[in-house]
Amino acid sequence: MTRGEDDGVSGAPIDFDRLDIIRGRLSRDERFVRIDEHSEFAPNRLVCVYDNRFYPNNIRTAQLEIVWFENGDFTLHYHEEQDTETFDHRWDRHPSDHNTRDHIHPGPDALTPGEDASHPADWRDVLSMALVEIEERQRGFWSA
Amino acid sequence: MDEPQDELEADADEPGEPPDFDALTSAEEVVRGERTRDDFFDAALGLDSPATASEVADLAGRGVDAAREYLEWFEQLGIVTLVTESPATYQRNQEYLNWRRVQRLKDEYTSDELLVLLKRETEREEGFTDQFDVGSPDAVSITAHASASDRSVEEVWEDVSAWKTARRRITLLERALTTESGDAADQRTAV
Repeated sequence: MTRGEDDGVSGAPIDFDRLDIIRGRLSRDERFVRIDEHSEFAPNRLVCVYDNRFYPNNIRTAQLEIVWFENGDFTLHYHEEQDTETFDHRWDRHPSDHNTRDHIHPGPDALTPGEDASHPADWRDVLSMALVEIEERQRGFWSA
Repeated sequence: MDEPQDELEADADEPGEPPDFDALTSAEEVVRGERTRDDFFDAALGLDSPATASEVADLAGRGVDAAREYLEWFEQLGIVTLVTESPATYQRNQEYLNWRRVQRLKDEYTSDELLVLLKRETEREEGFTDQFDVGSPDAVSITAHASASDRSVEEVWEDVSAWKTARRRITLLERALTTESGDAADQRTAV
């Protein structure tokens, strides 16, 4: 199950089938009001829009963009529109010259270079890790 | 990820109730299917290199006997291919997944619609061919191209991945169109 260091450097097509499955699972969940895929016949990416009830009034919208590739690379991008600012955080696995293959571009503005990281091998664990971290941030809005 | 800054937190005059986070389905459950079959299908989709039944059992969170049965069934269906015999290892069969998507394209679109989609993807692909000045994304060395063009590895990786995606779509659309006209030709011959 280990992946060679070289093969991923060539890139891979988007994994349409994995995105289909993810869309099916997340669209049944009450965290999201809408999931867009921006393509007529094979998803480019999933834009998963969070239900506003998880946010106070000064947050306008929040969404998670999901892209997965056939070689297991991915990029997950959390984006929040506040009244005057935005908040962005990215979990990535792909070649880069700024970080190791697994890395995080932390909020508030998903700075490059980010932080080296070690994401789980299983794609479902990667996705649930991101959902858990987003939920922790959402809970933080209501901690007062 | 950082907690929100204090000024963003909900204050006392926030209308509406705080959400009941504890009532949500856990993230771990949300990303998994409800049935044994889902667990094994998810595991099979993740097999981008050959894996044994016991590795697949771990991935699925199920027993190794069930893993053997599902792998044999998936192999018959074409979802995975048997890579080695002893020990038996299996890998995701991308050809099957492509075939399945071609069938779906044929079901959901007319030939004219498929041609419009094909034209759009072909234009995208031509754009990348011009940009990289080589015939195929496989001929691009991402790191070498990045340093030669003074772009970041990440930017070049994004373009090469988008190029490969466009080519995958072209393959699927062409197949959907070819098999469609093939069927029509067969029918005409039969008449």
